[in-house]
Amino acid sequence: MTGTFSISASFPAAIETAGLGKWIDDRPILRDVHLTIGRGEYVGLLGGNGAGKTTLLRILSTLIPPGSGRLSVAGCELPRMASKARAHVGLVTHQSMLYRDLTARENLEFFAKLHGVRHASQRVEEILQRVGMSARADDLVKTFSRGMTQRISIARAIVHEPDVLLADEPFAGLDESAAAAVEELLAELNAAGRTILLVNHDVEQTLRLVRRVVVLRVGRDRGIASMT
Amino acid sequence: MKRAASQLLLLVAKDLRIEARGRQTVGLLVVLGLLIVAVLGLGLGGTAAAGFGAPVVLWVAYLFAGVLCFEKTMAVERSDGALAGLMIAPMDRGTIYVAKLLSNLTLMAAVALVITPAGVIFFSFDLSAAPGTFVLVMALGIVGFAAIGTLFAALVSSTRLQGGLLAMMAFPVALPLVIASTQMLIHRFRDGQPIEGGALGILVAFDAIFLTVSWLAFEWVLEP
Repeated sequence: MTGTFSISASFPAAIETAGLGKWIDDRPILRDVHLTIGRGEYVGLLGGNGAGKTTLLRILSTLIPPGSGRLSVAGCELPRMASKARAHVGLVTHQSMLYRDLTARENLEFFAKLHGVRHASQRVEEILQRVGMSARADDLVKTFSRGMTQRISIARAIVHEPDVLLADEPFAGLDESAAAAVEELLAELNAAGRTILLVNHDVEQTLRLVRRVVVLRVGRDRGIASMT
Repeated sequence: MKRAASQLLLLVAKDLRIEARGRQTVGLLVVLGLLIVAVLGLGLGGTAAAGFGAPVVLWVAYLFAGVLCFEKTMAVERSDGALAGLMIAPMDRGTIYVAKLLSNLTLMAAVALVITPAGVIFFSFDLSAAPGTFVLVMALGIVGFAAIGTLFAALVSSTRLQGGLLAMMAFPVALPLVIASTQMLIHRFRDGQPIEGGALGILVAFDAIFLTVSWLAFEWVLEP
């Protein structure tokens, strides 16, 4: 997939990269990454430590700009259309990205309004039910267990109904039952048509959850190898 | 534009709500400011420091309280990666800067409301000749200091070198504001001379430069 870069109308990709590279402090983090993920796919991104998985997700989520190559997310070419892309992308990481001194409801309403969600209160109510946190909606986030926090974090990431959900180690620090709840939530979101790109260090768990796996290799020959 | 204004209000309201809930920052800053005023007042001695030392001592209190304020409001964004949540929202990163600046100014104003009367009383500084001038000059100085302080706090928070680094960066840059405003106040209150428009223009110019540069640079110093 080298050379020209375009989004095929017959296969509208949710994520597409061509020759993507990223250098940080003169050190190559990503080199010549080619990746295509179709709309509605649930894909696992694997790779050893330092392979650049988190960097790739940070680029795709518009947190950091790419160094070279071309990429698009939800049909928006980055970094040119980063602001537009942000309306279509949600990001979950091992960090909650929530304010500990606000309640779950206040956090979600804040992020919903920031994204310009209409009828934000109603949307937040719906999403709290969906993640099973209605009963604790008015409690401060700092009083939550890790599992509860992660559920609210996922709610934050999808409060604006993004087409693409990027999940970077969403199971980190969760016990078995909390991880199962998050697994179920991600599967539901994918069943509802959302594209999910999951970074997870647990290969077995990833293979169980996703339909396709792509592997970022470490070393000189960085790039994407794909297997179904 | 309307959306940016609405996002700005949301961000400031969020900061103030967090502060109102914890009441940690303002309380700490007020205590620090009062301690600085008291220690310097007692150290300098009643007669030597009486009167015209007040603007200088107040500036020392504002500077240290300000640095702590900027650090703490930025720390809220660093905790649990909340800043990344803001950075992936569809808004200009300059909006985040302006919101953080307004939050800092609100907190600084609350602190100044307590520290300033304490300093004025402690140093027997007679404001009656021109209280409006005093407030205007100090306010212009604080706006400029907060403008660069907010930028540097974002920069420092993305490094491991926290602690004193913000003060080391912000104090030298704020020095022209401190010197200009204290000289103006001494000129006005000790010498009884009115402050000319041109002199105030210097403070306004510094504010404009600091605000513009900080707003433009903020996007580049913001690390998720």
